[in-house]
Amino acid sequence: MVKMDKKWVILCSTAVAAAYTSGFYSTETQAVKMESAQHNQISLHTKVQQSGTTGNIANYALNQQNKKAKQKYKDGTFTGSGMNRRGDIQVAVTLRKDKIVDVQISNWGMHYSESDVVDLPGQVIQRQSANVGIVSGATYSTEAFTDAVQDAINQAQNS
Amino acid sequence: MTLKKWIKTPKGYVAIAMFAFLIIAAIGYKDSHGIKNAFTAVFAGVIVDIILNIIKRRKWTLPEGAVITGLIIALILSTATSILVVGATAVFAILSKHFLVYKKKPIFNPAAFGLLFSFLFFKTGQSWWGAFGDLSVWTILFLLVGGYMVANRIHKFPQVFSFLGTTFVMLALMGYFNIGDAVDALRPPFINGTLFFAFFMLTDPPTSPAKDKDQVIFGFLTAAAGTLVYAAFGGLIYLFIGLCLGNLYTYLKKRSVSKSMVNRKGFISTHR
Repeated sequence: MVKMDKKWVILCSTAVAAAYTSGFYSTETQAVKMESAQHNQISLHTKVQQSGTTGNIANYALNQQNKKAKQKYKDGTFTGSGMNRRGDIQVAVTLRKDKIVDVQISNWGMHYSESDVVDLPGQVIQRQSANVGIVSGATYSTEAFTDAVQDAINQAQNS
Repeated sequence: MTLKKWIKTPKGYVAIAMFAFLIIAAIGYKDSHGIKNAFTAVFAGVIVDIILNIIKRRKWTLPEGAVITGLIIALILSTATSILVVGATAVFAILSKHFLVYKKKPIFNPAAFGLLFSFLFFKTGQSWWGAFGDLSVWTILFLLVGGYMVANRIHKFPQVFSFLGTTFVMLALMGYFNIGDAVDALRPPFINGTLFFAFFMLTDPPTSPAKDKDQVIFGFLTAAAGTLVYAAFGGLIYLFIGLCLGNLYTYLKKRSVSKSMVNRKGFISTHR
């Protein structure tokens, strides 16, 4: 086993860096698209949070009853997406009379197994909220799922 | 062996790099769970290693290999992983080191095998937090500096370059032809994982070839197999699958060389 000459180390490092750079730039357009989608989602969340929505529909529904106001959320199925640096999740949330009645993971694009978060849709229905408990060892998937449900709820909101 | 001498050994280099990464990552993430996991993995691995060495009546040596394996496992598994799973992963890794052997040397990289086994049995996800995946991009410099020092010390540059070159070229082609998810693989936190893997796991001396030519083939095969798995299925275990296949190739090659030598010796002795 001979020690590699310094010149060869530099030459090979440069070649590897060139291969990486070409790959990085060939995928840059796609990466920018993904990032802007994520930013749009974050800004939407911020806007909704500023207007005082916490995502807990049950509490809100109670307030609505007291105020005898109209429904806060539209009835129907709404799609939301959540993403982070480990992938993305799309969910379909069905609402009826300000209640979450069904949650389905419609698209799984995370780099982890879907089985990690298989119980989360049930938790959303039980808690009537996007705020589910973090699954041990699946923090990133849980976060993307929560964002996706919140995104769907935001879309269901009556203006 | 004095501490000064031990530090200069290949295992000394890797152990120090892993320990330094553990501290840097724990500070960077402001999370002490990783240190607890590292202690668990190292403790479980060392205990099993010592017991198996006693059973096999092997000469006493420092269980530094088990320490390195434990540290690598703790740096890759998420800090939220339960200590039972972390400990079991380290135990699987050390069991593979003792029982899946050829000529007393492990066939598979213990940490990669343990993590693969852990994924299949416990569905553990890897966060590669010890590769600084969620910290600032400049922290990759720690990986590169530590990695170059280790690769240089253990003479494993050919396989590191072969692996990284093949991986990046294949990912660039995937990106160009819109196959799979090359975007993620070329960016943090995945690129951190790839670099960590190339410098500190692929280069494990007992489970990787020594000759330059064999190193290049080994690096190429590991990268090609892993990237193909990633292109087809995505996920995070593609690096470990690639490495286990590369290890299998090295084992089969060693076995065929040793068989042909036995045959040649037999041929020479019958023709004398």
